[in-house]
Amino acid sequence: MTYFPEEVVEHIVDFLGSHRDRNAVSTVCKAWYQVERLSRRNVFVGNCYAIRPERVMARFPWMKSLSVKGKPHFADFNLVPYDWGGFAQPWIEAAARGCPCLEELRLKRMVVTDDDLELLARSFPNFKSLVLVSCEGFSTDGLAAIATYCRGLRELDLQENEVEDHGCQWLSCFPDSCTSLVSLNFACLKGEINANALERLVARCPDLRSLKLNRAISVESLNRILARAPHLVDLGTGSMTVNHHTEAYHRLINTFLRCKSLRSLSGFWDASSCCLQAVYPVCVNLAALNLSYAPAIQGDDLIKLICLCFRLQKLWVLDCIGDKGLAAVASSCKDLQELRVFPSDIYGAGTTAVTEEGLVAISSGCPKLNSLLYFCYQMTNTALVTVAKNCPHFTRFRLCILDPGKPDPVTNQPLDEGFGAIVRSCKNLRRLSLSGLLTDKVFLYIGMHAEHLEMLSIAFAGDSDKGMVYVLNGCKNLRKLEIRDCPFGDDALLKDVTKYETMRSLWMSSCDVTLRGCRALAAKMPSLNVEIINESDEADEFQENLSDLHKVEKLYVYRTVAGGRTDAPDFVWIL
Amino acid sequence: MSTTETGNSSTTESAVSGLDYEETQLTLAASGASRSELERKRGFSEGVDLSLETKDFLSGSSDEAPISGAGEPSAAKAQVVGWPPVRSFRRNVLKSCTYVKVAVDGTPYLRKVDLEAHAGYQQLLTALEEMFSCFTARNYPNERLVDPVNGTEYVPTYEDKDGDWMLIGDVPWKVRSSSNFTGNIKGFGSHVEAINKEELEGAISTIHGKHHSTENNLDVCRFMQTASLMKSSEAVDLAPRTPTGCITAR
Repeated sequence: MTYFPEEVVEHIVDFLGSHRDRNAVSTVCKAWYQVERLSRRNVFVGNCYAIRPERVMARFPWMKSLSVKGKPHFADFNLVPYDWGGFAQPWIEAAARGCPCLEELRLKRMVVTDDDLELLARSFPNFKSLVLVSCEGFSTDGLAAIATYCRGLRELDLQENEVEDHGCQWLSCFPDSCTSLVSLNFACLKGEINANALERLVARCPDLRSLKLNRAISVESLNRILARAPHLVDLGTGSMTVNHHTEAYHRLINTFLRCKSLRSLSGFWDASSCCLQAVYPVCVNLAALNLSYAPAIQGDDLIKLICLCFRLQKLWVLDCIGDKGLAAVASSCKDLQELRVFPSDIYGAGTTAVTEEGLVAISSGCPKLNSLLYFCYQMTNTALVTVAKNCPHFTRFRLCILDPGKPDPVTNQPLDEGFGAIVRSCKNLRRLSLSGLLTDKVFLYIGMHAEHLEMLSIAFAGDSDKGMVYVLNGCKNLRKLEIRDCPFGDDALLKDVTKYETMRSLWMSSCDVTLRGCRALAAKMPSLNVEIINESDEADEFQENLSDLHKVEKLYVYRTVAGGRTDAPDFVWIL
Repeated sequence: MSTTETGNSSTTESAVSGLDYEETQLTLAASGASRSELERKRGFSEGVDLSLETKDFLSGSSDEAPISGAGEPSAAKAQVVGWPPVRSFRRNVLKSCTYVKVAVDGTPYLRKVDLEAHAGYQQLLTALEEMFSCFTARNYPNERLVDPVNGTEYVPTYEDKDGDWMLIGDVPWKVRSSSNFTGNIKGFGSHVEAINKEELEGAISTIHGKHHSTENNLDVCRFMQTASLMKSSEAVDLAPRTPTGCITAR
């Protein structure tokens, strides 16, 4: 091979951004490995237990940005017990020791404590960006530490975290010298906020472009804040309970009139239809709109609002929009790329929910659609075939029919053909979630056609082990497979054990795998951690009297170079 | 299965006080479903024996109640962990939707119970027993307003959008303010539509001491500064809904 001086390789490698490319470069030879590792600035760890934090810090000492994910995805739906793991502490400690240049940290589904946040804040004087998604274990005291010690903080983004409320003083901890904030999101906080401190903070941060408020912020306060920050691009409102007869409401209209840069709107806590007129002035420029926390906004008022947003690319709504509302979206929002329709009535059956009709309407009106999350009461094969034909560009397709195992209501058939059409037509499909009545056939189709599929979520589907085997055999790029309540057992689990080394993780709960099968897997594949989560009261009994044929409640398998983890609680057995 | 009974007040009063708990029919309905629309009724024991096997409600047929989700499936679905796959954050924000109306035959008004507040069927039944035992034990959850003249007691009720009479207070204020409360507070032939917590509080604060003559033909959507309590025994005479016999407290 021609010799390249290090500086030249370095220069070339600098152009590489993606992790995949850089990972590939690092395997060429030792010299290139060295060059690459010393020049890597962004590190992404998809599973915090796949590698030990010290190793990561040792390999990439000059990293500026670290992203780590903890619990498996199904933890979002309460399937993973509270103290399963995913602790941020070892990562922050290792970074504090080994990576002095760290400026950005992004954590998802991890347990973060106030001590962790304080250590983070004190260890990195140049710290710029903290993003916490679906995390828990910390309180507003931890936020106070971040505000106090991160002098040049640009971004504090808290998305859907469980944060304990220890008072509203944390916001006042941003010193008067802090003028660097670009993005602030505290929408998930449940407690009160010092509105005065917030207004002063906003006033002294001229670069602020993204601000997402929580429910405690009143309309009056929103008015004052927006008056100070008319250049906002992304706004999450506070509480929108406002009577349209009041002065606050009229001021709100004027305020929004001045927000010419607004491209994204969310929040709308406690909003009812009468506040919507205030946002009409910004609708024409909106690229993203999230109304999914506003169950009171429905019917014609909702439709009227959306029809003004003809540049919309991303829309999140509740299913009370109805099929009629979705038809209106289809005729107005021709640039729509991402649609999420959430259920508003989780326990009963609403009368204004969406069906297959709404989805078909969207697919015919919005050909650019590439990302879908759709909760509905029913779906037909015909509809899915039509959707597949209209929208071949799906990269993410998640359909959740609320009644588990429900067939096509018109034909009473399973939805195999419908989903089959989706995977055949959408060549770039990376993520898929299935629901409704499904046999092994749908998995055959997925295995045959879903070449680029990376993540598959299955629930209440399939007839036999063959279903799972089709998927494991066929999907070459599969990274994450999560299964619940399906009749897949040991034979499927053990059919191709080396497959799991090519994947990030496998989750199986309420399936037919037994302890024997899991033990066999663990024995054959030392490079995998095979975790059994057993929460039943008889767990102690089983410790002594382990019956091999005992069906495993929850199984989590992941590849790792770190060996078994030492922080697992009692109810997690690592085989 | 309506609680309306024709006949004079003495029989209705004895019917109320002589309530035999085991004989009452219990129905659960999602908000928005009027009781008169439900074709199916489930007895107490049927509800308790409801199987939680997922297979059972997988085979739910389409010839069940027209309001799908009323009765069996809705209670069973509440027990499947992690389904539908909605993040807890979002679930908690939309929490007000987990309240269901409970009607017990022979009682003058309905109650609302939060399914999420109970860990299982047994706890739910215990809570419901406590809710409805007031008709025998005369143990009202809210303030007891007593007419000093004849000793009759009053409880605050309202008529919701389905036309059912509900006891005020089951849904906590915090939740109330976050949902679009459009119930009516019955007055003398007038309907009060409270859009938010402030208006509702205003309506209740004027309950005491106002006396009005019967008025007809009032605009349903107009907010009126009047509301009245209904005598609990007379609340049984719900149909027709003209307020003959409605008396204000004190």
